[in-house]
Amino acid sequence: MLTASVLIQLTIDGITRGAMYGLMGAGLALIFGILGVINMAHGELFMLGAYTMYFATIVLGIPAPIGLLISTGVMFVVGVAMERSLIAPLRARLGSRWLIDGYVLTIGIMVVLQNLALIVFGPREFGVAAFWPGRQELGDVVISNERLLILAGAVITTGTLAVFLKKTNLGRAIRATAEHPAAAQVLGINIERIYAITFGIGAALAGAIGSLLLSTYPAYPTVGGEVLLKAFVVVIIGGLGSVWGAMLAGPLLGLIEAYATAFAPGGWQNTITSLLVLAVLVLRPQGLFSRQVTRP
Amino acid sequence: MMRSLLDSIRLPKPYEIAICALLAVLAAIPGIVGGRYVPAVFTSILLFFILGALFDFMLGYLRIVNFGIAGFLCAGAYGSALSVQYFHITPWTGLLVGGLASALIGLITGVLTLRLRGIYIGLTTLFVMETLRFTISNARDITRGASGLTVKGFTPLFDISFPRSDPLGYYYILLILVCVTYAILYAIVRSRIGLVFKAVRDDELGTSVLGIDVVRYKLFNFVVASFFVGVFGAFYAHYIGILVPTTEEFGIQRTVEILTIAYVGGRGTLWGSLLGALFLVGMQEVLRDLQEWRLVIYGLSLILIITVFPSGFAGALRGLYDRLSSLRPAVAPQNSIKGDA
Repeated sequence: MLTASVLIQLTIDGITRGAMYGLMGAGLALIFGILGVINMAHGELFMLGAYTMYFATIVLGIPAPIGLLISTGVMFVVGVAMERSLIAPLRARLGSRWLIDGYVLTIGIMVVLQNLALIVFGPREFGVAAFWPGRQELGDVVISNERLLILAGAVITTGTLAVFLKKTNLGRAIRATAEHPAAAQVLGINIERIYAITFGIGAALAGAIGSLLLSTYPAYPTVGGEVLLKAFVVVIIGGLGSVWGAMLAGPLLGLIEAYATAFAPGGWQNTITSLLVLAVLVLRPQGLFSRQVTRP
Repeated sequence: MMRSLLDSIRLPKPYEIAICALLAVLAAIPGIVGGRYVPAVFTSILLFFILGALFDFMLGYLRIVNFGIAGFLCAGAYGSALSVQYFHITPWTGLLVGGLASALIGLITGVLTLRLRGIYIGLTTLFVMETLRFTISNARDITRGASGLTVKGFTPLFDISFPRSDPLGYYYILLILVCVTYAILYAIVRSRIGLVFKAVRDDELGTSVLGIDVVRYKLFNFVVASFFVGVFGAFYAHYIGILVPTTEEFGIQRTVEILTIAYVGGRGTLWGSLLGALFLVGMQEVLRDLQEWRLVIYGLSLILIITVFPSGFAGALRGLYDRLSSLRPAVAPQNSIKGDA
């Protein structure tokens, strides 16, 4: 039965889920925009964030908000370490020809992290029912508290990232590097440092989302695969390398998925979204929200 | 007169002997050892070798990253399996049907994306693969989805029957298919078209400035590769007997396996993939008890190849060969193909 309340319910669900996809995509887009490489290991960073959150909050009993900060910080360090130890040397050696190799390198990292997680933690799912049990009822519309928490987390994270990129010196330096690396360097920006920090931020975002979504996606070794695919969808719809595009495309994807699940028979929403992505790739490779007119 | 006759019966070159010896070994060992296990392992090696070589045919020559190669495998496999089931063709025709199904998808994908930058081709092929996989798992009435489609084995040909219980027959079918495919790929790479491929690889803009329609060459390369990937997908369907649209079989994981073999073997060589397949499939068999660790080794070898040893096994072998031949008094320089470092 399609009533107004069902529609509102679907919309809230879609936007909440979509905001998360958007943030995953934003990390991926940030890394692509600055380093020019598609980080295939992004889903594994999500996975590591989820494990960190689980062990911080459930095993050690740390309160959830602090656990979130810890896992975000840990993933930032992991991201910087990954960039410095593996990606930077490769870029230094290959110069501008490194793009495809960088792509494949992150695939190697993905395979290693996934299977190390399998060895260390086993295939078991580590999850929580909810950090904040219970639900709110507004007339016919029912929202679980967990969902509100996730939505709040998404809004805060998006806001922080936006302020950081727009208002701080480091954020400006990152945007300058994305715009024109050589010119940024001439202006005294240490772009190697920017590369490392950007990768760290991307990883931290993935970790934060992995932590926030622990009740939806429990931590298990291959959880990253599905999430990575969503992040790809968002990044392509929003335009490769466009952080704002990804943030807009996230809720859009969430809504499409929510409505498709309600109206199309089970499973077909996957086919619908991947066809949509193909359509965007073919008709508007620069993304739906980009003002760029030349074909890439 | 005598002299020219002597000249015409030249001694075979070392690499020609090596190829013949290799073929003899590949043909003989599974037959001599027999049983089920050894032929199965050799089938796996050959299959991964030719898929690696096809991946390399695109990546190592024209820098086309076909990140959805497993999707083309899927198109061939389901194309053949479904047409055998619903249109009652023989699996032998199925090989062709599978190849054509995959080539058609390759043609459409290629026309739409090959003029874009490399990363877009990678992403488009990735999503072509996922669209196929999702569609197949959703269309349960036709494909039986996740519960798996059973596929018939090859029917008798020239009075030779191919029962599933005897993997040796399948191995020889595959060996012949692989040899034919490899010969065609090698001929293309060595022809004038192959020269254009290498020119594009080294300097795409420069090549197009010479008035060469780069996109057309890319399309040719992509469709040919898609066709053969489809043929081997069809073979795989009738060999393995059951098809399931999982990521391990026809998704990212299969792509990563093929890609690793091409990289570890050495890009831009075609034959390097044989070394890659021998190493990685062999290692998987030897380290079977180690379970997850073998996949860690898979990933680590990919990281090592990229960061430390970009020319792969083929590069190492070629380096060794060059060093050996430099020990002997001046031999005419080998016109070796430059590896894609």
